[in-house]
Amino acid sequence: MSWLNENCLWLIPAAPLAACLWIVVAGQFFRRDKAHRVVVLGLLASWLCALNLLLVVVPSTFEDHGEHAAAATEVPHGGRLETKPGSVSYFIYDWFHVRGAGSQPASMSDRQFKADSGGLSVPVELRADALSALMLVMVTSVSLLVAIFASGYMHGDPGYPRFFGALSLFVFSMCMLVLASNFLLLFVFWEAVGLCSYLLIGFWFHKPSAAAAAKKAFVVNRIGDFGLILGIFLIWTTFGTLEFDRVLANPWLIQQTVAAQPEIFTTICLLLFIGAVGKSAQFPLHVWLPDAMEGPTPVSALIHAATMVTAGVYLVARCSPLFVHSPFALQVVAGIGAATALIAAITALTQYDLKRVLAYSTVSQLGYMFMSLGAAGANPQELMQPAVTFALFHMFTHAFFKAVLFLSAGSVMHAMGDVIDMRRFSGLRKALPITWVTFLAGALALAGVPLLSGFWSKDEILAVLHRAAQSEPHGVYYTVILCIALLTALMTAFYTFRAYFLTFHGPEVFPPEAGHHPHDAPPVMAGPLYILGLAALFIGLATGPTHLYGHYLHHTPGLPAPVVAHHADGHAAEGDHAAGEHGHDWFMMLTSSILAVGGIAAAYLVYGKHPGAQGVKEPTPLAKLSLNGLYLDDIYLALVVKPLRSLAELSEIIDRLVIDKIVDGVALVPAFLASILRPIQNGLVQHYAFVMLLGLAASLVWMLQALAGTP
Amino acid sequence: MTGQLECQLVVGAILFVLGAIGFLTRRNLILMMLSAEMMLHGVAVNLTAFGRYHGNSSGQVFTIFVLTIAACEAGLSLALILGLYQRRKSLDVQLWGNLGEPDLPILSAPEESRVEPQHPADLPQLTPAGAMPKTPTQPFSQKV
Amino acid sequence: MNSLIEQAPLLAPIALGILAVWMLLPREGNRAWVIAGLCGISALLWLTKNFLPPVDNAVQTGMFFLFGGGAIISGTLMITEKNPVYAALWFAVVTLSTCGLFLLNAAPFLSAATVVVYAGAIVVTFLFVIMLAQQGGATGYDRKAFQPILASIAGFMLLACLLFTLQAFGGKAVVAADGEEQPVARPQFVLPPANVVSNPLSQPQPRRDKPDQNDLGTLQGVGRSLFGDYLFAVELAGTVLLIATIGTIALAPRRSQGTL
Repeated sequence: MSWLNENCLWLIPAAPLAACLWIVVAGQFFRRDKAHRVVVLGLLASWLCALNLLLVVVPSTFEDHGEHAAAATEVPHGGRLETKPGSVSYFIYDWFHVRGAGSQPASMSDRQFKADSGGLSVPVELRADALSALMLVMVTSVSLLVAIFASGYMHGDPGYPRFFGALSLFVFSMCMLVLASNFLLLFVFWEAVGLCSYLLIGFWFHKPSAAAAAKKAFVVNRIGDFGLILGIFLIWTTFGTLEFDRVLANPWLIQQTVAAQPEIFTTICLLLFIGAVGKSAQFPLHVWLPDAMEGPTPVSALIHAATMVTAGVYLVARCSPLFVHSPFALQVVAGIGAATALIAAITALTQYDLKRVLAYSTVSQLGYMFMSLGAAGANPQELMQPAVTFALFHMFTHAFFKAVLFLSAGSVMHAMGDVIDMRRFSGLRKALPITWVTFLAGALALAGVPLLSGFWSKDEILAVLHRAAQSEPHGVYYTVILCIALLTALMTAFYTFRAYFLTFHGPEVFPPEAGHHPHDAPPVMAGPLYILGLAALFIGLATGPTHLYGHYLHHTPGLPAPVVAHHADGHAAEGDHAAGEHGHDWFMMLTSSILAVGGIAAAYLVYGKHPGAQGVKEPTPLAKLSLNGLYLDDIYLALVVKPLRSLAELSEIIDRLVIDKIVDGVALVPAFLASILRPIQNGLVQHYAFVMLLGLAASLVWMLQALAGTP
Repeated sequence: MTGQLECQLVVGAILFVLGAIGFLTRRNLILMMLSAEMMLHGVAVNLTAFGRYHGNSSGQVFTIFVLTIAACEAGLSLALILGLYQRRKSLDVQLWGNLGEPDLPILSAPEESRVEPQHPADLPQLTPAGAMPKTPTQPFSQKV
Repeated sequence: MNSLIEQAPLLAPIALGILAVWMLLPREGNRAWVIAGLCGISALLWLTKNFLPPVDNAVQTGMFFLFGGGAIISGTLMITEKNPVYAALWFAVVTLSTCGLFLLNAAPFLSAATVVVYAGAIVVTFLFVIMLAQQGGATGYDRKAFQPILASIAGFMLLACLLFTLQAFGGKAVVAADGEEQPVARPQFVLPPANVVSNPLSQPQPRRDKPDQNDLGTLQGVGRSLFGDYLFAVELAGTVLLIATIGTIALAPRRSQGTL
């Protein structure tokens, strides 16, 4: 048991990595159709270790459970495992160590770390605290269920082992991202998840649209990564180090920097947020997520609902000790989150591709999370902790209900012969009962129906926004944001149930590709659907109002706590929060319930009562605007893609006509020089004799010249 | 004494140079060979002059060998020239310029036709066959 | 530039010679015989002034002028003659003049042998070939010289170098700036050291029949040198002749390939 405690930290990413290596080496050739076994085993091991981490290892580091931990479990020691208050680290190896120009004091504690040595030391080290543990459990559980689902969904695909290899590589990268102990390692795995996303979106790379979507995802992510790396550079120049323990969990250093150069925090936070915008598909970099639906549905469920897109939220949450010193950055976060939520919701209203509805819904919900994070801008000291807590809670619940929605959509696709256009089928309620039930569960959770998980998380976000709207000096701004959030909630309910009614209600219409009798999900697909459906319904209730989630999260070292005077050490004092946190904002709860039910009713009125009547109407201009994503894709095409393409063509012309010609010109020089010398060899004997005679005369002249003056 | 020697050396030098010029300018293969032989004459004059100056027979003996080799050379070169003539039916040295770059214009006089059509006026005017040639008008006895 | 002007007595006949030869070389149209001839003669006279032979022995000097001048003039006429047959005949005259010079240089055997071999065999053979190959006389390629200017200049440049060397080593004094001839000490032609005899049999020895005279120039002397010092070379020369004979016979075109 203690062995497990000591080693669960590195086992979490190592198990999927081992599965990936196995598939790369042997799984491509050897029992190809059983490639899922290794991956599922690896993910199962990873999940169990994550549970252990969550329930045993990390709690043992909480200082306020000191005796408790020492009595119940052994505090992990020894070897490479190092325990600090609130976190445990596992050192793997020193990646690089660059000496700086300045001298480094021989011994220094974390508190007295001086940032003037100019060097950089990056170890490959895993670090887990409360935040990491919660995220890891979410990631591994959803991954496990999706992998089990995919073994049924992808059955018969020629690239079956490749899918599972990429999937396990993705889970490895995501776990390492969460477990990274410094910014550089985080960045490496940030890119790695982007790479795996590329591999998985472009899984059916023979399809041009899939290949283009993969490229688009990667390129747009890259734009965000540019901001992220700049932010990391700035962190290094400001703090002198990149380690989370030293930068984020070290209030002394942050206080020093606040005193010396307070405005640097805004720049750092905005740059880091650009990275989050790219990865989490916020406006203006959200255009890649709907196109990413070209990938297989399990990929959409895992990556673009539950794990990869939440990396941005994780980053901002992790860097909340930095964000708390920059209200402006937090306002920007909230603004962009609001804009994204609104744009995505508007676009989702008229989509006829079921997966795209869910994709835009993901973008919209991510906007919610960022709105929550940004709500702290009204009063950073007070509101940061609840803002972060509820953003992460929404992320947690969203993972489950979005995953179940995607997997149900996948089941629909599976039954309908890969058709996902809602105009081509309807009335699937009787034919696919399991899918119907699970989809309904997810849809109810997403819409925010009272007492389901989506309700609890969304409501808390609205509560935080309400508090932000009530505080000065940015009350008006946050009131606008709150209104946008409410409007988006209404629209979320509407479009979710529009999709539901169009798909599952109405006359039974099957497309020709479905074959004679569409079959429902086989057990291997139905199992994860049920589990995720139950989670979608009840996990919010289980962990939200009971404050299980919140209390656990508050043990994250460095998470800014509201200023309370009771305890002398810097940790958040439990049980001593302002009334607005523990008490519920009944007004918001009521409002959000009304909006949810109202949205569902409106959808029923439009789509549920006269199902199947929305077939062939010509879309109105407003509907067209919504259908084309507010023409943002077209704007990007005109403003960015076309000029760059013209630049590329211009470069190609210059390369061909100028540079190549210069090179050819250089090649002409020897030819030219030779053409001067060539006429000497004209094949005539007398010419050769003449040259010989001339040479003789010339050498004689020269010799006489040299001998002139000598006796 | 050296005066006598010097002028002979001048004659030898001039003969050599004249032979060189002839070799470079004449296009007839035979005349090129003859010019080369003239160069050998110049050398021979040089050798014998020095032989006399030094009071030695070595000069003459050397010249005898030069003569011998000149004879060999003449024989071999004529055999080769005959072979070349058989190929092109001409003694023009510029027909044999194949080793040059094919696209270069030959640095020579502009192209002349290899076989010049003989001017009809150059040919001897023969009386048509079968006709009696005209008898001379002047009686033989009155010829001077 | 100064040095060129100093060398004017040497360069002037060279320039005249270039003019003469160039004008005389075969070309389209008429050649300026008279002018070229005048240039050539004046060049020769100027050279004579520079390299004047000793006037003490009139006969020898006269013979020298005859044979030397004849050789030069015949040589010029040979290279500038359009008709190849006439050119070959002029070559025969050159050979005869050269033989005369051999006589002047105490080599009577050599002159006779040269007349026999050269004028008698080589020139005749060449004439045979010309007459067989070119029965129409001068052909087109005989009438036009190839690169006349360049060849003249190159050749006479070589001649200038040779004459300059002769002048530097010769005994002629240079006309100084004030117009007086001053004897200038010049390096002499290299003589072998007195006590070293490199080719002993080639040195003249008293004649058999007239012991008070040496046999330089007699057949006896030539024979002793030839078969004494240079026996090996003689044998080789014989072998070379044999090989050349075989080679000529092998190279000559066969009757089956068509007659000439």
